[in-house]
Amino acid sequence: MTGNPILLLLVLGPMAAGIVSYLIGRRNKALRDIFAIAVTVAEAAIMLLLVLMGGEVSLSVPGVCGMGLSFQMDGFRGIFATVTAYMWMMTTIFSREYLAHSRNRNRYYLFLLLTLGATMGVFLSDDLFTTFVFFELMSMASYVTVIHDEKPETLYAGGVYLAVAVIGGLVALMGIFMLYSVTGTLQLSELLAACQAAFPGNEAWFYVLGGCILFGFGAKAGMYPLHVWLPMAHPVAPAPASALLSGIITKSGIFGVLVLCTRIFAENAYWGFVILLLGVVTMLLGGLLAIFSLDLKRTLACSSMSQLGFIFVGMGMMDLLGEENALAVRGTLLHMFNHSNLKLVLFMAAGVVVMNLHKLDLNDIRGFGRKKPLLCYVFLMGSLGIGGIPLFNGYISKTLIHESIVEYIELLEEGHSVVSFAAANNATLFHVIEWLFIITGAMTVAYMTKLFVVLFVEKNRDRAVQASFEANTHYCNKATAAVLAVSATVLPILGVLPYLTLNKIADLGQGFLNGVSPEHAVNYFSLTNLKGGLYSIVIGAVIYLLVIRLGMRVKQPDRTYVYVNRWPKHLDLLELVYRPLVLGLLPTVAGFLCRCLDYVLDGLVLLGRKTTHKQLREGRLLPKGFELAYVVGSLLDGGVALLNATFCKRNPIQADFVRFFADQSRIYEETKREVMSGVSFSLMMFGVGIMLVVIYLLVV
Amino acid sequence: MIALLIPVLMPIAVGVLLMVFPPRQRKIMLAVVFAALAISLALAVGVALQPEDALCLTLGTVAEGLTFYLQVDAVGKLFSVLVAFVWLLVGLDAFEYMSHEHDEPRFFGFYLIVEGVLAALCYAGNLFTFYVFFEVMTLTSVPLVMHELTHEAVMAGLKYLFYSVGGAFLSLFGLFLFTAQGAELTFTAGGVLDSASASGVARLAVFLMILGFGTKAGMFPMHGWLPTAHPVAPAPASAVLSGVITKAGVLGILRTVYYVAGPELIRGTWVQYAWIGLTLITVFMGSMLAYRENVLKKRLAYSTVSQVSYVLFGLSLLQPVAFVGALLHVVFHSLVKNGLFLSAGAIICKTGKTKVDELKGIGKEMPVVLWCFTLAGVTLVGIPPTSAFVSKWYLATGSLASGIPVASWLGPVVLLVSALLTAGYLLTVSIDAFLPGSDYNYAALEKHEPTWQMLVPIVTLTALAVLLGVWPGGLTALLTNIAGSVL
Repeated sequence: MTGNPILLLLVLGPMAAGIVSYLIGRRNKALRDIFAIAVTVAEAAIMLLLVLMGGEVSLSVPGVCGMGLSFQMDGFRGIFATVTAYMWMMTTIFSREYLAHSRNRNRYYLFLLLTLGATMGVFLSDDLFTTFVFFELMSMASYVTVIHDEKPETLYAGGVYLAVAVIGGLVALMGIFMLYSVTGTLQLSELLAACQAAFPGNEAWFYVLGGCILFGFGAKAGMYPLHVWLPMAHPVAPAPASALLSGIITKSGIFGVLVLCTRIFAENAYWGFVILLLGVVTMLLGGLLAIFSLDLKRTLACSSMSQLGFIFVGMGMMDLLGEENALAVRGTLLHMFNHSNLKLVLFMAAGVVVMNLHKLDLNDIRGFGRKKPLLCYVFLMGSLGIGGIPLFNGYISKTLIHESIVEYIELLEEGHSVVSFAAANNATLFHVIEWLFIITGAMTVAYMTKLFVVLFVEKNRDRAVQASFEANTHYCNKATAAVLAVSATVLPILGVLPYLTLNKIADLGQGFLNGVSPEHAVNYFSLTNLKGGLYSIVIGAVIYLLVIRLGMRVKQPDRTYVYVNRWPKHLDLLELVYRPLVLGLLPTVAGFLCRCLDYVLDGLVLLGRKTTHKQLREGRLLPKGFELAYVVGSLLDGGVALLNATFCKRNPIQADFVRFFADQSRIYEETKREVMSGVSFSLMMFGVGIMLVVIYLLVV
Repeated sequence: MIALLIPVLMPIAVGVLLMVFPPRQRKIMLAVVFAALAISLALAVGVALQPEDALCLTLGTVAEGLTFYLQVDAVGKLFSVLVAFVWLLVGLDAFEYMSHEHDEPRFFGFYLIVEGVLAALCYAGNLFTFYVFFEVMTLTSVPLVMHELTHEAVMAGLKYLFYSVGGAFLSLFGLFLFTAQGAELTFTAGGVLDSASASGVARLAVFLMILGFGTKAGMFPMHGWLPTAHPVAPAPASAVLSGVITKAGVLGILRTVYYVAGPELIRGTWVQYAWIGLTLITVFMGSMLAYRENVLKKRLAYSTVSQVSYVLFGLSLLQPVAFVGALLHVVFHSLVKNGLFLSAGAIICKTGKTKVDELKGIGKEMPVVLWCFTLAGVTLVGIPPTSAFVSKWYLATGSLASGIPVASWLGPVVLLVSALLTAGYLLTVSIDAFLPGSDYNYAALEKHEPTWQMLVPIVTLTALAVLLGVWPGGLTALLTNIAGSVL
């Protein structure tokens, strides 16, 4: 082991602490909660100290798992490891109240801390092998936190989550095998050079392996068409787990894709173009699903998908722009960072609603937030942030990604033919993508407005319910309130002071993405940039009014409105395609083929037994055994009856010799038959062997 | 060195005595069995610690060219220690499992005899000796399968016998042929046959031997005995059958290809390609059928079919890294599958449930057993950092490095698809067991946890299966040495 073992502590410490918390929890539940919180606070503190001290910390542990693990903490990985620890700290504090009345909490805390360790492992890893090891651990451990309440729909959604995780993991593993076989290294620091050297001549191999790794990590990052688990798993998971899942676990998938984009296909325009298109589809679809969703947490989950789509767009632009990708790099990085913080706030706010009402349907929770200023403040900060409203953090990163698209269009229009294939040189296409980007931003504004209006403006249809909502002023305890307030206040601070905060973070992290500082600093609050934000707001307002207010609300006889689901019921990739294919068609066909193979030899033996090697006797027995047994048995029975009648009156002999002999003769016949057939089969095989030898001797 | 006979004869002698003079008291019998198992392990370790060159022994000559000859090399040491170790743990488990079965002395008697025979098999120094003990192993292990003497058990035992004997005859052809050519078939790393002047018949013989020994290893098309024999045998017997005796088949193929014929004899010929093809078919078929099977032990049996062929796939590539992966998988699968079968045995023994769909909520009743089942399952799927991940890593990277057309990339794909199916048939059991749903009646919960006699083996096997994955260093180094000597 060489390097600083503090990294191992950061990764393994929480895992060990998880086991300790389980043991503590068997005795004392309150102490366990405190212990878990203390662990996450310590983790965050250590991580923050490490980042503030600056510099790089690395560690390699040879021999573990055959290949050895290696860790490294530098700018980018430091930032995201810190975000991980920070989010865990907040959600663990929140868990205490959220799960106060739930069963199996010991299990929850055990796996929560295991997941923390594994996620830290992913973000601190220095080679793809280590990344993969902890990525798989994280998938498995987080599954248990997702299915915490064990309701049928939870288990179903959890099953989908696990299936996607396992399939994705294995496909990614195939990609890693292929990568390792062609480059001979998985070290992130060496991959760039190794891939550049190996790429020419192995293009097809590289694209296949890239596709495999993208499949695995992209699935975790909610990339279309593997996003299906995201809108299902989030609503059913406990809110703290949803916040982590959406905020940081999806980012671990992005981490893998980033390795692809910056190491394996660095500045490869074809690759960038594919990622860009996938990103565009993901962000649009996520936005659409979120607009149509009627479930508070599902809307947030779809929103996550959409925001991850933005990040994919950023990554695609990174590779398309080649050496001039400073804006795209910083935008991608900052949007990852911002989205983590935003989803932490939003999911915890949603968690407060669920904790009180145990309901998620917008019609049921309508009006809950009225007269609850803290909740309103928290949710508003989150909504404005994710909506990309100027002076909030989401605006900064979206502007940067938007600027990178604009920059690319400018390059094309100036005549720099950046790359060699037609689609990527088509300025019109990129104008369309730019507009789609703005429209998706507008969708974000629209669905966040929907949620805000439902929770904090509209009143519940049932007046009694509304009254009980408004009477409920102790909807969360002080610790939860503090966590909510702190994490929400971070957002506008980041947004108002981007030059002091976000820019510094981007400077720190861009090295990992091969980024450089842009030649001239971006003026976030210039008129052109504000214009993009304004477009989004205006279009968003239009979408909200036209689609949501007019399209999704139906007037009831009592002159109130209810929200209705307008999404076509059967338009669901999972139920329409994946389930029938993966659970129905493939196993049936393959299972049938395998069953045939399974019976090949048995079938041959059976055929032989029916034709050339007929058994001596089909086992049709007389009801009382064979004649001899019957006669002898009857005689003996008669004797016994005689004895019973004369000498043994007091203790009559209980015996049925007819039956006894019949049984014995049956056993004898069966044994004989089996022995005979065994011997004859052996003899036959022996004969075949002898014949082969004889033939051989004669021939050779 | 005559002392080599002790690890072979001691368990056989104890086993025979146990059957001839069954002790009156159960406690005495268990004490004797335990002592014999523990001493066997000590002897196996003792032999393994000796330097290799001292360990050979000629017992006598049957006919010209047919010598009983024992010789211990690194492979033999590895297998013998593995056998003795697993035998001890499974034996301990059987103390509790067999307590409600009849004819215990017979079971433990044959159990010990098979251990002695397996020791001889591991120490066999030439093909003839190996073949003889291979047949003896088949014959002495049949009573373990048939133990319950129900109609199904007897029929399954006979099927096991016929398949094994049939397979052994296929191997016999090779033995005849090579002996007739006058070759001294002493096991020598890298093979004794001259690959340059090898004829087509020699290759055919090697192929038949692979098929023949492959019967024991459950390789398609001769795998049919496994799913029949396992469900009816007592759980400890299924455990060793699946975890260890299948590995005797692997050892047979390993000896044939790497120590008699020599890898160069079949490299790049139809024999190698056919062998690879058969193993890949088996890998996929086994896991697919396991996925669609409802009887827990039968599911595990199909899983064995699949997993042992991972090993054979690794051997069939004739590539050092894949070779290391294959032998790693021998060890890891042994540990995992024994753990799984013992867990299944504990479930059957304590609750009487044999079908997968009856197991909802059983994790609440037997948490330790099901935790081990889950960890072993996760290991078998190959989730890092557990052991089977390491062996699969070696298998797949070795396969990609072998440069064999198509198979080099198809192999890892099949392995991963099979891993996915493994997740499908093992993790679903764990999920149902631990997550019975929110409407589960916790008030009616009854604990069925077995005693320490079952828990110690299960926990030990599982812990080793997981931890060896985290620190495989020593084992890998040993196997890399072996790979270097044969390839």
